[in-house]
Amino acid sequence: MTASDGALAQAGTGVIHDLGYRHYDGPRLGRGAIIRALYWHSLRSAFGIGRGAKAKIVPFLLFALMCLPAVVNAVALAQNHGQPMIVFYDTYTYRLRILVMLIFVASQAPELVSRDLRSHVLPLYMSRPMRRLDYPLAKLAAFTAALLLVLEIPLIILYVGTIVSASGGSEVWAQTKALIPGMGVAVLWAVLLAAIGLVLASLTGRRAYATGVIAICLFLSLTLSSILIHVAEPGPVGPNLVPLSHAVAPLGARLGGLISPFTVLDGVRQWLGGTHPGPVPPPGNIGVLYGVMFLVLLGACLAGLAARYRKVGAA
Amino acid sequence: MLESPPRAAAANRPGLPEEGEARTTVTAPPQLRAGPGPGGAGTAAAVIQTDALTKRYTRAVTALDGLTVAFAAGITGLVGANGAGKSTLIKILLGLLPPTSGRAVVLGHDVAASGERIRTLTGYMPEHDCLPPDVTGTEFVTHLGRMSGLPATAAKERAADSLRHVGLYEERYRQIGTYSTGMKQRVKLAQALVGDPRLLLLDEPTIGLDPAGRRSMLDLINRIGAEFGISIVVSSHLLGEIEQICDQLVVIDGGRLLRSDTITSFTRVSQVLVIEVDEGGAALQAELAARGLEPRRAGRGLLVRIDGDATYDVVRDAVADLGLPLNRLEQQRRRVEELFRDNGDEQDHEEARDDG
Repeated sequence: MTASDGALAQAGTGVIHDLGYRHYDGPRLGRGAIIRALYWHSLRSAFGIGRGAKAKIVPFLLFALMCLPAVVNAVALAQNHGQPMIVFYDTYTYRLRILVMLIFVASQAPELVSRDLRSHVLPLYMSRPMRRLDYPLAKLAAFTAALLLVLEIPLIILYVGTIVSASGGSEVWAQTKALIPGMGVAVLWAVLLAAIGLVLASLTGRRAYATGVIAICLFLSLTLSSILIHVAEPGPVGPNLVPLSHAVAPLGARLGGLISPFTVLDGVRQWLGGTHPGPVPPPGNIGVLYGVMFLVLLGACLAGLAARYRKVGAA
Repeated sequence: MLESPPRAAAANRPGLPEEGEARTTVTAPPQLRAGPGPGGAGTAAAVIQTDALTKRYTRAVTALDGLTVAFAAGITGLVGANGAGKSTLIKILLGLLPPTSGRAVVLGHDVAASGERIRTLTGYMPEHDCLPPDVTGTEFVTHLGRMSGLPATAAKERAADSLRHVGLYEERYRQIGTYSTGMKQRVKLAQALVGDPRLLLLDEPTIGLDPAGRRSMLDLINRIGAEFGISIVVSSHLLGEIEQICDQLVVIDGGRLLRSDTITSFTRVSQVLVIEVDEGGAALQAELAARGLEPRRAGRGLLVRIDGDATYDVVRDAVADLGLPLNRLEQQRRRVEELFRDNGDEQDHEEARDDG
């Protein structure tokens, strides 16, 4: 019962008023907490949590697929002690990894940003106590975290599955030493792919278009890169991205990987000291170009994202 | 549960002193006219004060042009034709759009320096659709409560409260895509209310609603202003609509202030009654003239300036005495421009027909 309830009762209006408006006098959280709340909300929606069952199918299926090699590895090692690992930490199974990440980014990045554009909900975010770039910041952090989960958890399964079959402390230590750079490579993947996915998805409010644009961009550039690598690289190659065995590949093959984000990531891995064969031939003395290309791509995506949301908020 | 209908209270509200609420309504700045306004008008009562506020999008497009005006506590109507600068003003007040020149103070905070602070204290309901279809009302408002800085549990409680206050009960567990236009407008209002603002900025809240929907939305706004103690700015391009619930009106046109005043001084000069009879319009016109009114024809109806309740009695008696079939008798909804024309002008009152 509030004061105005009483007043109305006295006025004898005879109407049942559902007043009882209570002012909120609890704590009000600051900008940081709001960004964190948006981050959690977005991270959940990257996996379809908080939406219907249908929204969960694709992300969780892809995640399960990604874990499969690690599980197979663990089973194989458990049955056959002393067998070397069949999956490596730094490359994982790169063909599967590229496929899974391509689909995951293409299907889930629009989930985070396109639907908000589609329903024009951004003015509601902008009218709240956050700054203009807080929104893309929270989205980027959330999507990067989502990709990290998809990339890193299989590595951890791989690690655990391997060390349970390990036969001594030194072997466990060797595994740990191999795991750390592998996880580092996964971080590079997550950071770059999240930025690319979000900037492309933020171009349109239509989910299907956004998915198409991302898938086409990633797939076309990958195809182009692998063609260039294989054209420039004579010798026995299987279909698509079979590792090349030569010690030093021709310059054309080494440059070919600069076009696709996936091959750029592999080039950076090898430039930083990764030795397992990947989709790109060892870049050798032009390895630094891959590092530069990684930074340029990432910088362009972040700048694009910032520019996009500076405009959206003002509209 | 019943909707509260404070219709009667709304109609003659300007005269009624409100019971002891924390409202300082009637201290509206008197007779603040257009032009280089009095700088001292930023009294303690002003919720919003702008000073020579100008916004140019390009050299050719000027949305606001030296706007100096004060909004008092209570419900203020922000009236202007489409493109008059209402939405631009609201965005500047939220600190989302930097003004080209001039300044604005909202709840004591400068928009240029403390936009975040202002947005903590202010709820905003945009004009256009802004709701995702595949989320329930509760989920949506809760999420936006969190975005307003409420902790998780508080956001849930406030969301349930706000949705109840705007009249959404069981529907709030349904997906927004299944809502009617009126329910969607209510959700938009609820999300503005969820952070317990001290000021609400409502941009065309009745747009797209049918007459009944408009009326109940206005009732709701009136209730929030009167009973929740929240100051409200309601923008509209229809003056007749929002004047019923406002304490003060601010009229802008082409980015300039046309007029700012308390509601009583507006209504005194501007209330017009529309009378429509199936037959005998000419006879009625003569009869009303004989009874001391000055009826004029407009389309199929007659217009009579309202001069207190007595006018209604005169019209009723005239119609009854002539035995005419009365088709329509209602206060006219006017367009903003008409306010500033002579009332004697002959106009085509299309707006009046919108209700029909």
